[in-house]
Amino acid sequence: MKLLSKTVLLSAAIGFLFILASCGQNGNSSKSGALSKSAAERVFVPPGEYDEFYAFISGGFSGQLTIYGLPSGRLFKIIPVFSLDAEKAYGFNEETKPMLETSYGFIPWDDAHHPDLSQTNGEIDGRWLFINANNTPRIARISLRTFETEEIIEIPNSAGNHSSSFVTENTEYVIAGTRFSIPIPQKDISIEEYKGNFKGTLSFLKVDPETGEMDIAFQILMPGFDYDLTHPGRGKSHGWMFFSTYNTEEANTLLEVNASQNDKDFIAAINWKKAEEFIKEGKYKTMPSKYAHNVYDETSHTATSTMKKGVKVLDASQLPGLVYFLPTPKSPHGCDVDPTGEYIVGSGKLAAALTVHSFTKMLKAIEDKKFDGEAYGIPILNFDAVNAGTVVQPGLGPLHTEFDGKGFAYTTFFISSEVVKWQLGTWKVIDRKPTYYSVGHLMIPGGNSRKPFGKYMVAMNKITKDRYLPTGPEVCQSAQLYDITGDKMELLLDFPTIGEPHYAAAIPASLIKDKSQKIYKLEDNKHPYATKSEKETKVVRNGKDVHIYMTMIRSHFAPDNIEGVKVGDRVYFHVTNLEQDYDVPHGIAMIGARTSELLIMPGQTETFVWEPRQVGVWPFYCTDFCSALHQEMQGYIRVSPRGSNTPLKWSLDGE
Amino acid sequence: MVSLQILYPFSYLRQVMKLSKILMLTAAILPLFLFILPMWSISLQAPQYPIPLQINIFITHLEGEQEGDIQNFDLMNHYVGMRKLPTEMVEFDIFPFVIGAMSLMGIIFALVGNKKLYLTWFIIMALLGVAGIYDFYLWLYDYGHNLDPRAAIQLLDAYQPPVFGTKQILNFTVRSYPSLGAVFLGIGILLSPVAYYIEKKKERG
Amino acid sequence: MRIKIFVFFVITLLISACNSGDEGKVSNQSASNSFEQNTPKGQASYSDDVSAKNILQVAEGSKDHTTLVAAVQAAGIEHVLVNAGPLTVFAPTNAAFDALPEGTVETLLKPENKSKLAFILTNHAAPGSFNLKALKKEAKKGRKIYTAAGDYLEVKVDGDDVYVGGAKVLASIQTSNGVIDVVDKVILPKEK
Repeated sequence: MKLLSKTVLLSAAIGFLFILASCGQNGNSSKSGALSKSAAERVFVPPGEYDEFYAFISGGFSGQLTIYGLPSGRLFKIIPVFSLDAEKAYGFNEETKPMLETSYGFIPWDDAHHPDLSQTNGEIDGRWLFINANNTPRIARISLRTFETEEIIEIPNSAGNHSSSFVTENTEYVIAGTRFSIPIPQKDISIEEYKGNFKGTLSFLKVDPETGEMDIAFQILMPGFDYDLTHPGRGKSHGWMFFSTYNTEEANTLLEVNASQNDKDFIAAINWKKAEEFIKEGKYKTMPSKYAHNVYDETSHTATSTMKKGVKVLDASQLPGLVYFLPTPKSPHGCDVDPTGEYIVGSGKLAAALTVHSFTKMLKAIEDKKFDGEAYGIPILNFDAVNAGTVVQPGLGPLHTEFDGKGFAYTTFFISSEVVKWQLGTWKVIDRKPTYYSVGHLMIPGGNSRKPFGKYMVAMNKITKDRYLPTGPEVCQSAQLYDITGDKMELLLDFPTIGEPHYAAAIPASLIKDKSQKIYKLEDNKHPYATKSEKETKVVRNGKDVHIYMTMIRSHFAPDNIEGVKVGDRVYFHVTNLEQDYDVPHGIAMIGARTSELLIMPGQTETFVWEPRQVGVWPFYCTDFCSALHQEMQGYIRVSPRGSNTPLKWSLDGE
Repeated sequence: MVSLQILYPFSYLRQVMKLSKILMLTAAILPLFLFILPMWSISLQAPQYPIPLQINIFITHLEGEQEGDIQNFDLMNHYVGMRKLPTEMVEFDIFPFVIGAMSLMGIIFALVGNKKLYLTWFIIMALLGVAGIYDFYLWLYDYGHNLDPRAAIQLLDAYQPPVFGTKQILNFTVRSYPSLGAVFLGIGILLSPVAYYIEKKKERG
Repeated sequence: MRIKIFVFFVITLLISACNSGDEGKVSNQSASNSFEQNTPKGQASYSDDVSAKNILQVAEGSKDHTTLVAAVQAAGIEHVLVNAGPLTVFAPTNAAFDALPEGTVETLLKPENKSKLAFILTNHAAPGSFNLKALKKEAKKGRKIYTAAGDYLEVKVDGDDVYVGGAKVLASIQTSNGVIDVVDKVILPKEK
């Protein structure tokens, strides 16, 4: 018996090893087979499993920010930033209305373009995302823990806030530049007096390293060009910002022709470390500009808007050493810095070639004073003295470049509708792949940092025409996912997007997914109208204002019967979700309320206002299918005539 | 060989103390773990709760495995009309006293070193253990049967979690098992008769 | 006996675990990339009945531009002529191509000369909308037209006639994505 069991054990052990070995082999074969795996397999994320990357794609003219998973292309969430969102009550409830305040008043919409992620030591750190509003110049900060907009700051002395919101290596600054030059300060002059009278500003927003809160540190006053895009230096070029410019002709009409005349426009190199010195030395003027600063407080679930005044301005034409111009052919659009910080790629959108400048050569040219004249007192560096190389005949209409961290660059071409891969240093074209159609920006995860994750590249297209089932004259725009691990790029997937997928930023899921907030703790709720238990629910009248302190929990409101409200009252529903369980939001909507529903997360308090106009008994209900007895989650409010004396009372189940 | 080093204090103990005495002393000390470790755990698992809701029963109080588990237990239970989980119970006052007293008694018995006292301690502990489990059953029965007649979901059967084991109640898989504290208690209780037998064998031998 | 059953159970478990790992790995290699070949011309393959015709579609419909269209197809740059634009194409007529030294067109149409052909053709395209009126305005301001190939074309007005890069503009046709200026000469890029 003993012998037998030994034999069995031994054979079992061998069998076990064999199975393990064969398992391992299977693993290997599937790995080596990855190259030959079909596109479908490479983008398929099985039900219940997670994507490898979060991709934050701007909504362009939708004003919002969308979150997709890569490689699946699945949409997870639309974060409202600059536009009203009735679904989440953003800009509708009393708590978030201040987020959309500006010096022009309440603005319900904007055009959100360039998301960029916070960095530490030149690597993305998963704390915040910044994004710009073009139309009414603003920068927003989004928390990557709550995935909510936490802050919006307005940029004064700016118009068409396009060359924004790019982040320096340690998130010292978020940068915002004007696209349209304007009279600064604004005044009533003839448009024909543009030349010399209109100016641009480049704003440097200091970021608090702990809270992320932004503050305008200073602005640099620049000649009246259009400042198109920007990127910070990194590594050796940390401390510099590079801005592409067009309309150095300073045309004020028919720019499609009149701003396309100069053979070369400029990339402006800004030495912001120098700017900090000038500020310290007091070489700034304070302009009395007005701008709104809106901050959302996570514990009171409430935003406040503060109107700030005054901003420090450095005049580039008066301060030598602050700005240099690098001549760059034909209205450069993209202005992209490679991960080492050495190369600055200028994509002249009308040019037949890509121009690459060298940071080292630029420093040498400045030292040797190799200048070809000046513009408004700002030295123009000699083209050959700064030029590192040229990518010849890469395609038509170059726009934007991103990098894979392996020595290759990827540039989009709008006119020839393609992405071209080329090599830094040799300037040779390696590969080209079509996009469907008319690509604008492209994005490689971490592409704006020292350490890109060169596995996928996403191209964002403006036109889709026949790519999807037609939906009337307005069809979607799209994003396309390419595998860039091999020599040749491979198209894996295209997926429709919200609004205009203008630009994007992506981050490995592992850097943020475990920090994602699940609930708000009720005990931390500092909302002035929070109700933390059903015992504390009440209705308080203050003149014509009626404040309902209401709670919601599976599956009822407390109170759910309210009497004593009168026509002409202003009724505030302050509703607290008492749940402390992940993914149990409740909603509330009131018949005839001229606002949106509220969608309230566990532990959160939100408020909407209802002004009853008719006598009667009016229902409200839960709008989110919260639980098995969701349909039972409802209540009534009795509205009595103006001046009647129905006593104020409220109850839940007679209590 | 390194692993044996941890036994050195034990071998030192052996030089000054009889094995049976060490065992009885250990037996008497082990129940004290109940003051820091949970005695019993009940968990609810369902598709919408892939991470189960879990209540850990201590001799002094109830505690959720995760923050909010107790409230969410109550929320689930209220649909079938179950009362809220208690924050105060007579047991929470009695248990710590009984455990403390029994442990002290065990230590004294061990120091006296009489094998009959070892056996006595075992019998008392065993009886108390059975009584404790019966009390637990009664409590569960009361909670599972005394349901609010106005509850949203009317059950044909009682809604009673098992004292020990796994049971499917509606969409929930309910698991009720002893926790680490109870395991230590159990080992303690079982060590005392071992001490008794070693001592008895020695006397004969 | 118990051990045997146990061992059998463990092995079965392991094998099934192994298998489950393989499930779903459907080999479908032929599917890979086939969708890229579905639309080789990209946007150029799209057409409908109601949209205004773009530069390529207008050229395709002209019997005077069969050589140009053939050249565009040989160079593989159809998509350049269908994108959103705005774009101006100086479109040499068949006669203009015929006027080139004998054998030139045949040589250029050969696959090995594809990039050279593409370069010559993109020298006939310029960003922006330049109809006759706009060309005259450019000539008056002394401005040149910057082509997609990177060359500058001089614009001259002689009486009622307009010349671009030495070629006479015979007609100006408005299309959905820009302008076709029909020219009587092939505008060869300057030797660099």
